[in-house]
Amino acid sequence: MHPLPLSRAPRAVLLALVGLIVLPACSDDGDDRPDAGQPDSGMPADAGSDAGSDAGSDAGTPDAGGSMAWPQDFSCEDTERTELTFNPGQEQELQDAVNALGDCTTIKLGAGTFQFDNAITIRANGITVKGAGKGTQGEGTGGESSTVLDFTHAAANTNGFDVVGKLFTVSDLAVWNAKKDGLRIESSINVNIQRIRTEWAQESQESNGKYGIYPVKSTYVLVEDCEAYNAADAGIYVGQTLHTIVRRNVAKKNVAGIEIENTKYAHVANNIAQDNTTGLVVFDLPGNPIRGTDIYIAHNTITGNNRPNFASVESSSSTVSQVPAGTGTFILASRRVEMEHNTWGNNNTVDIAILSGLAIESDPIQWAAGFFNYPSQDISIHDNTFTGGSGRMVDNGTPDLEFRPLGALVGAVYQYGAAAHGVTGVEHVLWDGIDPAPRNESLANPINICFTRNTLPEGTQASVVDFDLQAVGGHLEAGPSPANMAAAWGETRRYVQDAEPFNCSGFTPALTIR
Amino acid sequence: MYRPFIPGLGLAAVLMTAALASCSGDEDGVTPTPDGGGDPRVDSGLPPEDSGTPDAGYDAGTGDAGADAGTSEDAGTNEDAGTPDAGAAFPPNTLSGFGLFTGTPASGGLRPVAGNIPYELTTPLFSDYSVKSRTLYIPPDAPAGYTANDVLNLPVGTIITKTFAFPADLRVPEENVRAIETRVLVHRPGGWEAFPYFWNEAQTEATLANGGRVVRGVSFIGEDGVERTLDYLVPSKNQCLKCHHLQDAQENQVLLPIGVKARYLNQDHDYGDGPINQLQHLANLGRLTGLPPVDQIPRAPNAFNAEDGTLERRARAYLDINCAHCHNPKGTAGTTSRLFLNVDNTEEFTMGVCKRPGSAGGGVGGEFDIVPGSHSVSILWYRMHTEESGKMMPELGRVLRHDQGSQLIADWIDAMPARACK
Repeated sequence: MHPLPLSRAPRAVLLALVGLIVLPACSDDGDDRPDAGQPDSGMPADAGSDAGSDAGSDAGTPDAGGSMAWPQDFSCEDTERTELTFNPGQEQELQDAVNALGDCTTIKLGAGTFQFDNAITIRANGITVKGAGKGTQGEGTGGESSTVLDFTHAAANTNGFDVVGKLFTVSDLAVWNAKKDGLRIESSINVNIQRIRTEWAQESQESNGKYGIYPVKSTYVLVEDCEAYNAADAGIYVGQTLHTIVRRNVAKKNVAGIEIENTKYAHVANNIAQDNTTGLVVFDLPGNPIRGTDIYIAHNTITGNNRPNFASVESSSSTVSQVPAGTGTFILASRRVEMEHNTWGNNNTVDIAILSGLAIESDPIQWAAGFFNYPSQDISIHDNTFTGGSGRMVDNGTPDLEFRPLGALVGAVYQYGAAAHGVTGVEHVLWDGIDPAPRNESLANPINICFTRNTLPEGTQASVVDFDLQAVGGHLEAGPSPANMAAAWGETRRYVQDAEPFNCSGFTPALTIR
Repeated sequence: MYRPFIPGLGLAAVLMTAALASCSGDEDGVTPTPDGGGDPRVDSGLPPEDSGTPDAGYDAGTGDAGADAGTSEDAGTNEDAGTPDAGAAFPPNTLSGFGLFTGTPASGGLRPVAGNIPYELTTPLFSDYSVKSRTLYIPPDAPAGYTANDVLNLPVGTIITKTFAFPADLRVPEENVRAIETRVLVHRPGGWEAFPYFWNEAQTEATLANGGRVVRGVSFIGEDGVERTLDYLVPSKNQCLKCHHLQDAQENQVLLPIGVKARYLNQDHDYGDGPINQLQHLANLGRLTGLPPVDQIPRAPNAFNAEDGTLERRARAYLDINCAHCHNPKGTAGTTSRLFLNVDNTEEFTMGVCKRPGSAGGGVGGEFDIVPGSHSVSILWYRMHTEESGKMMPELGRVLRHDQGSQLIADWIDAMPARACK
């Protein structure tokens, strides 16, 4: 068997691989099927097993107030509500007050610019922080109707907001140049994040803060009408959370626009993710005990995510640092994901990549904490619009063998495909073909990817590719010969929409959080 | 003429202790103790029978309160606590309100009152080379209980202080000392609370600074003769929780002391009558019960005294005191990262050996937390070594690199039998 992951492929092999890009078309397409491997090992299809039939009633509907229907773990009904108001110049008073907060306090922040030298650290319940407005992109100073919290001169290693609490609401303000994360909310319940802007002044700086809006390890999280710019990891990141609604947000110029990580029951709708390295992603990380599932993605616009990966630096260890520029969406180690009425286009590498967790961490033991949650399964992509222009310049044509090897490999193979077979670019959906591992060649769509009723650009032929990453990688690691290149290409398979086996109608039971 | 601003030396603290205890009322007063270890009732309420009126609780002892204070020697009796008429709310607005010290940095230094016992740790947590002095006040009628591995079972009413100061030159640490802050940890009936007190320019008083402070341009000359300058962060009250926390069974964050463990206290200190083991001293004073013979008490070595333990033991002690308050199975950062640096973790993988971090961000020196034999590509070492915001560890309390600590961990990793991680 060929070792995975490709992300750790020897540099020399990959260097050689890129040399192939300039090879002339070769004759021998090769028909050598990889050995079929063992029969399906019975990686259990988990459709529905943990689907949580009660999820929907909790999640509400996106247009009906959503989070209002969630159960509330903490209430201010029997607590006297206090309101405190602070204006620019009263930063120290605000900090002193924040550190002596009683439950159920509302902090109103006046318009203008607050200069903070430390994080705003909140450890109380029922707290509301409300400013005069989030302002607009690029606005580092607050105006008459905006409140900018400027952390440019804050102490090293601090976040903007740092919150642990129940029933926390923050709205109508901007967090500017936080040293680490803009808005970090951890281990909290009933979190409402509304009309917030997180931004760093400089574009594409690896030293920018990692996350803009970052609720993590929480329950019942609403992120709506927010904006996130220039984060060196994710603009909006909901992680390790049960029940979230992420809607009507704008994420631009980040490495990852919107991330849903190790999260159960996520409703992600009406967002705009543009000009990031990768627009909107859903994945589980190895070693995390929460097994993500039940993700609904609708009415989002995920176009032109071609920003060079500025987290992709020497010795980087994060998942997103390995993503090639131009990846509209990737689904990794995820299950029960439904995507409808979204728009993809002009993503240079691919609109949607569906990946096994083994592509980034090949050792299954590393996935033990989440009950071996590395497989992706039950991905339904229907009734979306693909506007075209995608898949034509993998990783913007600047493959990096060491830092973003997956992109380098896909790019090399498609260079060959263009030269030898006239394939003009990566199809709209790229499946890495790993799951279930080991692969059973007799099953064409073993993990139940459905791709139906989507609007495709005129003249589209194939729209889904089974890339068979493991087999392709094996051929290429054997050496950069034309024969190996042809053999690698021969492992990949293309499917047109409405052709079997990807013309399935979803999974059972259906998501209840639509 | 200098007028002492702590009229009720010693008394105020006792007042407050009694008052605090009385606050427990008929609550069970059981403090969540994620560390487990022992009977939780040992450090629960223990309200003195005669602790005065419940109102007393919030009278921390202002000037008036101290008028009848008497000497510190007799301060320990609850009879004195009887009439709390003073009025200052808890916590007191000034450090002096606790009545734990006489003197000030401006007048030759803080001197703990009787019963407020100085102590040192065998290996202290590094905080930007600041010089720290620590005291422990345990109510006289409620001794602490010994525990072998966890924080001592400290009763309600216990007050721990730690004063952070920078001498102008670390090579002469007694001279030209500037105190920056005194952190006070108080064990109240509802649990531990932390309060930061910020010293004024004149070094005559420290004032409660719940919101924290940033002190720009603190300079000192290091032991190596090199001048260093930093912006020093006095953490806010809530930021204390970032380090002083564990998760209880309900996954609530609970604040706990860090260093007051037998293994760090197990060394001699001279209280004026010659060196004596610090734990034995507490026991002799009646403030600690259940102490086994000294040779049965665990001990963390001085990480920087090669005579005091193997490289492995010293490195593990350093990681334990500097990192394990978060990186342990009950800390939120620990559970997220699955990196457990507590000294009793013997599992190589969760200690970081050939372990990939879940999400380490960009540019942190390597792919694995520890690559045996190669400190320079080990993330653990990188994060301790770097001074880059957002990458360095620990998250709070350090701006500068600890050269000695970085070297110790580098030596430890390099001494591991080399092997490639994959």
